[in-house]
Amino acid sequence: MAKNKKVLIIGLDCAEPGLIFDRWLDQLPNTKFLMEKGMYGELESCIPPITVPAWTCMMTSKNPGKLGFYGFRNRSDYSYNGLSFATSNLVREDAVWDILSRLGKRVVMIGIPQTYPPKPVNGYMITCFLTPDTNSQYTYPPDFRHEIEHLVGNYILDVDEFRTEDKDLLLKKIYEMTERRFKVVRHLIKTKDWDFFMMVEMGVDRIYHGFWKYCDPLHKKYEPKNRYENSILEYHKYLDQQLGEILTLIDDQTTVFVVSDHGAQRMDGGICVNEWLMREGYLTLLEKPAGVVPLGKAKINWPHTLAWGEGGYYSRIFLNVKGREPQGVIEKERYDQIREELKGKLEALGNEKGECIGTRVLRPEDVYPVTNGIPPDLIVYFGNLSWRSVGSIGLNTVHTFENDMGPDDANHAEKGIFILYDPTDQGQQRSSPLSGLHIFDIAPTVLHRLGVKVPSDMEGKVIH
Amino acid sequence: MKEKKGFTIWFTGLSGSGKTTISRLVQDRLRERGILNVEVLDGDVVRTNLSKGLGFSKEDRDINIKRIAFVCNLLTRNGVPNIAAAISPYREVRDYARKEIKNFVEVYVKCPLEVLIQRDVKGLYKKALAGEIADFTGVSDPYEEPLNPEVLIESDKETPEQGANKIIAKLEELGYLSRVTKKNVYTEEEEAKIKKRLEDLGYL
Repeated sequence: MAKNKKVLIIGLDCAEPGLIFDRWLDQLPNTKFLMEKGMYGELESCIPPITVPAWTCMMTSKNPGKLGFYGFRNRSDYSYNGLSFATSNLVREDAVWDILSRLGKRVVMIGIPQTYPPKPVNGYMITCFLTPDTNSQYTYPPDFRHEIEHLVGNYILDVDEFRTEDKDLLLKKIYEMTERRFKVVRHLIKTKDWDFFMMVEMGVDRIYHGFWKYCDPLHKKYEPKNRYENSILEYHKYLDQQLGEILTLIDDQTTVFVVSDHGAQRMDGGICVNEWLMREGYLTLLEKPAGVVPLGKAKINWPHTLAWGEGGYYSRIFLNVKGREPQGVIEKERYDQIREELKGKLEALGNEKGECIGTRVLRPEDVYPVTNGIPPDLIVYFGNLSWRSVGSIGLNTVHTFENDMGPDDANHAEKGIFILYDPTDQGQQRSSPLSGLHIFDIAPTVLHRLGVKVPSDMEGKVIH
Repeated sequence: MKEKKGFTIWFTGLSGSGKTTISRLVQDRLRERGILNVEVLDGDVVRTNLSKGLGFSKEDRDINIKRIAFVCNLLTRNGVPNIAAAISPYREVRDYARKEIKNFVEVYVKCPLEVLIQRDVKGLYKKALAGEIADFTGVSDPYEEPLNPEVLIESDKETPEQGANKIIAKLEELGYLSRVTKKNVYTEEEEAKIKKRLEDLGYL
């Protein structure tokens, strides 16, 4: 490849292929142009398909087991409350920008999850929504923040007060965040010298979770002709315009990627995992809480508890093992038996009518070649991710249709999007989408496009 | 935040004592502090390129170490932290390296020969004791212990993590690394804020 080849990545957190490639493509002219003139396909995410670890898996080409983190928070020890955040300090593997920085290539990075606290790179970085606020050091170099603030005033890391019924206000906040981010993107594309440029927009994920029920006729809470019926479509059209503007700023040596870390689907409801564990006799309380409380605040009778679960878009089940947890009760020789028993029961757990919802229960050692750090004992996709996991206690039900944290209409799906457009490569046009693409393939493909040798320990392949 | 000081961490110790394992941990610790440009000259790797063709006679061993020292010196004087992890059995040539390289930190990974023979991760001691490998340090070739290393790690008594921590502490003490005063990324208040944000967003 030529020396002055460049790569620009537009990351759209959560962007769903069913909406972009199929349902609304004709209304997204710039996206359609890239797909028609380039190549595209569904991009299989990691396990679990969650923002952390997915973006880091994408840019290191390493699986979560190798990286040693399995979600936003991970057990740092075997205590009952030893969960710590997976910040950039935990990333021990080289990401694309580390490799490129060492080779003297210039990088610009904006909003890539798990980049806080910022690490030195050969270029510029604005950190992600895991940054406490803009009083924290959210740029590299530190004084780069002044340039950003001069341009857009207060840079918005994420929408605040997300759980609200005031949907007009939520929409306004999402647009405001996205508008400022793209203003920064355009400015940096024009003013900085770069070989690798990557941005991640979180607004897509936020609007899906906040507005899916208004736009999906199959959602339980959908009401025809509601005033937010087109909210997600309009936002995608807005993003497409932003993409169009960016395309006018780049030269023909720049390969453009549009990618997402996972997709989205409607959420049918929530499974109160700890309520279920209590009902089945795996979890025992010392006293019933007054009202709904997070698991961490409940008084648990540990010597009579075999397992507990974490809430989120998927669930993690932890077993209370003798000699491992402080008050462990499961003898090592019974570990496999109890874990299999739980797996079977969780897979059989149906919806509120007892109908099968297709829950998948995964053993970490089956899905990761190595399990660094402390993995969960089981990973659970309720309803294959069409149901979320509710960790709170005190709901007195296993099935809920009101989230413990407030309104949420969407859950994650395992396939995200991949689009690649190289203005100089006319041979790349394909009439049908590519298949077999994996999130681990992005880092090697980026390095290959930049003429950099792909490290042999990267797990993905170069997409041709 | 950016560390610009170059330094050389010069490991020495018998084969299998833990030099490579500890050097990887040190690399991780440096990475956590944002130092990404650490170069490692591992003895086994160097012998496949920079010193390819050299044998294990005293003369060849000295040439090998002098070559590694030459590269370490170039890196250090250009501000690139580096780690040399070779057996480097002879005191004289280690002292040569110390004289050549500014900001030199000698790390002796000490482990009794009996323990190494028992561990024998690479299966080399068995072969050496059977006479299948000539000039094998500690068995059929001498190892001269450092008299005054900056860091002594007794790998039969200390974990690799403890060893790596000792090295980092020494680098701080010598002023090659700035001390980290804040252990956690977030203050309690910040952590509560991030937790609330992620709960609100449905991630937790």
